[in-house]
Amino acid sequence: MTEGAGAGVPAVRVQGLWKRFGEQIAVAGIDLELPAGRFIGLVGPNGAGKTTTLSMVTGLLRPDQGTVEVVGHDVWRDPVEVKARIGVLPEGLRLFERLSGRELLAYTGRLRGLPGAEVDKRATQLLDVLDLAGSQHKLVVDYSTGMRKKIGLACALLHNPEVLFLDEPFEGVDPVSAQTIRGVLERYTGSGATVVFSSHVMELVESLCDWVAVMAAGRIRAHGPLAEVRGGAPSLQEAFLELVGAQGRIAGADLDWLGGGAR
Amino acid sequence: MSAAGGVSAASITPVVVRLKLSLLRNGLRQSAGRRAAYISSVVLVLLFAALQLIGLIALRGNTHAPAVALLLVALLALGWAVMPLFFPSGDETLDPTRLVMLPLRPRPLVRALLAASLVGVGPLFTLCLLLGSVISVAHGAAAYVTAVVAVAVALLVSVALARAVAAANIRLLSSRKGRDLAVLSGLVIAVGAQLVNFGAQRLGSAGGLSQLDPVADVLRWVPPASAIGAVDSVSDGSYATGVVQLLLAVAALAGLLALWSRHLTRLMTSPDGSTLQAAEPAAREKGASGAARLLPSGRTGTVMERSLRYVWRDPKTKAAWVTSLAIGLIVPVFNALQGTGSIYFACFAAGMLGIQMYNQFGQDTSAFWMVAMTISSTRDAYVELRGRALALLVITLPYATLVTVLTTAMLGDWPKLPEVLGLSFALLGAMLATGAWSSARFPYSIPQEGYKNVAPGQAGLAWISVVGGMVSAALLAAPVIALTIWLNVTSGGDDWSWLVLPLGAGYGALITELGLRMAAPRTAGRLPEILAAVSKG
Repeated sequence: MTEGAGAGVPAVRVQGLWKRFGEQIAVAGIDLELPAGRFIGLVGPNGAGKTTTLSMVTGLLRPDQGTVEVVGHDVWRDPVEVKARIGVLPEGLRLFERLSGRELLAYTGRLRGLPGAEVDKRATQLLDVLDLAGSQHKLVVDYSTGMRKKIGLACALLHNPEVLFLDEPFEGVDPVSAQTIRGVLERYTGSGATVVFSSHVMELVESLCDWVAVMAAGRIRAHGPLAEVRGGAPSLQEAFLELVGAQGRIAGADLDWLGGGAR
Repeated sequence: MSAAGGVSAASITPVVVRLKLSLLRNGLRQSAGRRAAYISSVVLVLLFAALQLIGLIALRGNTHAPAVALLLVALLALGWAVMPLFFPSGDETLDPTRLVMLPLRPRPLVRALLAASLVGVGPLFTLCLLLGSVISVAHGAAAYVTAVVAVAVALLVSVALARAVAAANIRLLSSRKGRDLAVLSGLVIAVGAQLVNFGAQRLGSAGGLSQLDPVADVLRWVPPASAIGAVDSVSDGSYATGVVQLLLAVAALAGLLALWSRHLTRLMTSPDGSTLQAAEPAAREKGASGAARLLPSGRTGTVMERSLRYVWRDPKTKAAWVTSLAIGLIVPVFNALQGTGSIYFACFAAGMLGIQMYNQFGQDTSAFWMVAMTISSTRDAYVELRGRALALLVITLPYATLVTVLTTAMLGDWPKLPEVLGLSFALLGAMLATGAWSSARFPYSIPQEGYKNVAPGQAGLAWISVVGGMVSAALLAAPVIALTIWLNVTSGGDDWSWLVLPLGAGYGALITELGLRMAAPRTAGRLPEILAAVSKG
């Protein structure tokens, strides 16, 4: 794995990032440095601004304010350097669904400027590893959620990026597909590449990541190596609930009729 | 709560009817615009119903009255049969899979759903038409009695027909292919309207209504029109024939209900379409892999290949293309057929097809992000847009040429062929140029479901994009138009009119290139804004 602008350069450096949608502030001034070569989790409840942040970091959404650098290159001033180095799997955006899985990979790879034969070779291997070989000629529109995430991941990996951004890659994915995705990602970070992924499933983040950033209401509440963020709490889940101040809201007395067999 | 007793048969019917009423009411509550649209459509339907009611009553006593009444009822039944195929989401109680979790038995359910389907504008309209039909044919007390039964039976047959068709095809309708079909329904309606128009014109011509009689002789035995046939027979005194016809309609009703009930039982006890579809072995989608080898390599060929695949595979894109191709052919050729045409109408084909260059990125929907991730320079954007323009030309150039040659052949005006071709090419070039530019400057979302081609709130944008673009395209093509006019009015200009072909083609190519060059930096510089604009669908 080539280290782009040399060792020590963070994978992502974000400074003073803001985004408003009308009245609502989605991202309220984020400063963040994500170290290279790590498996990084961006966690937070729904509506915390994770997707907005990742969209701005990957150049799919223009920030109101702030700068983003990926491996030392400014996302908005130097798109040539940045776009070749990153792979993206966004949440809530479509793929070209009227192509088959194989056609989608062939299209993406060639659009990235890779030679045709190389694209086809990599596509075959990715389809095999991701257990999609049997459905490679089916249109993506007929794929299940898990299969869509996997073909999206294959598209994002095809050009061997230095940094991979995944927005909720395990959302709605069955356990078997999730394990497959996990295996591929672990192998990928093992070679020195960086994965940044967002999720609201703490157990998953805890078991996969060695570095986390916690987001809530458009701000970063905590970031650092997993152990540091977890601190004294028994699990990341507990630490997270404490950080976002959502502890102790356990519904009790009102639902006294629920369960117990009596109707 | 006592849920143990189950739901008795008698109590379901009012529940389902109330459900239907609530669905209607809640549909109206969603927005004022929807309410206005619904109310105006109800008023329109009622006006139309009243008009045909008056018309049918006026026909009473006319020798052709039975023929007209039979034909109208048969057409209406046909409408009921095809409606669920094209408007599957039109009536939510039509979808039995929504009730699958409830502990209901088929027989009471069929009764309840049938009662619920009698609520609405469609059944009301049908009732008006049936009333008008029997009034126009019934003479005598026996006929009036038959008429009352006939109206009820015919109405029930129509409604049961829609239900049975929906239940039999729900697997198709709830699948992706069914939704694709629904998108194409607008086209079917447009073509159907043309056919009706054609039929009406023939009826209006010499011979008139008597042409209907042979058709009516068949229809009077086909349910539900046979119920109206029964009234007619009884009016004539042939009671036996009338009874047989009425029994036919009743038998049809029973048959439809049995069919519906059987499908309903099967639907409620078997996995739904999505599960079955996921379990299906992968079918190989035939691609243009052979022809793809002819495309240029690199980004250009890749973009062209995807664009061309989408013309065939994406229902929205396909519908737009078929519309353009059809109108581009129909206008010049029909005008030529009627003898009123000008050869210059052939330029219509180029104009209609050029429209497909507009809103290129809107056609991608939010999948545009995949394109945006690979555009990092003006050069990338230029190659992307050029690939799309070339894909369009692969279809458009031969088609526009064909339409022009065809129109010329029909009018027999061969000397004009070169200049009309030149004019077409210039116009096409201007459309491609303005299309590329407005794709970058005024992108808008195309919703994937339904018939709308513009997302809510973006109608103005779409209007600027297409209308503004077409006006500018006409202005851009003005030099070639002016040259053609000048050659036509100057004495001896005809000798030089062939010059319009090379000049027009060259001008078209030049202006396309310029348009692409101007659109590229705008595309490359506005990627996030374009993505946001096309992701609303």
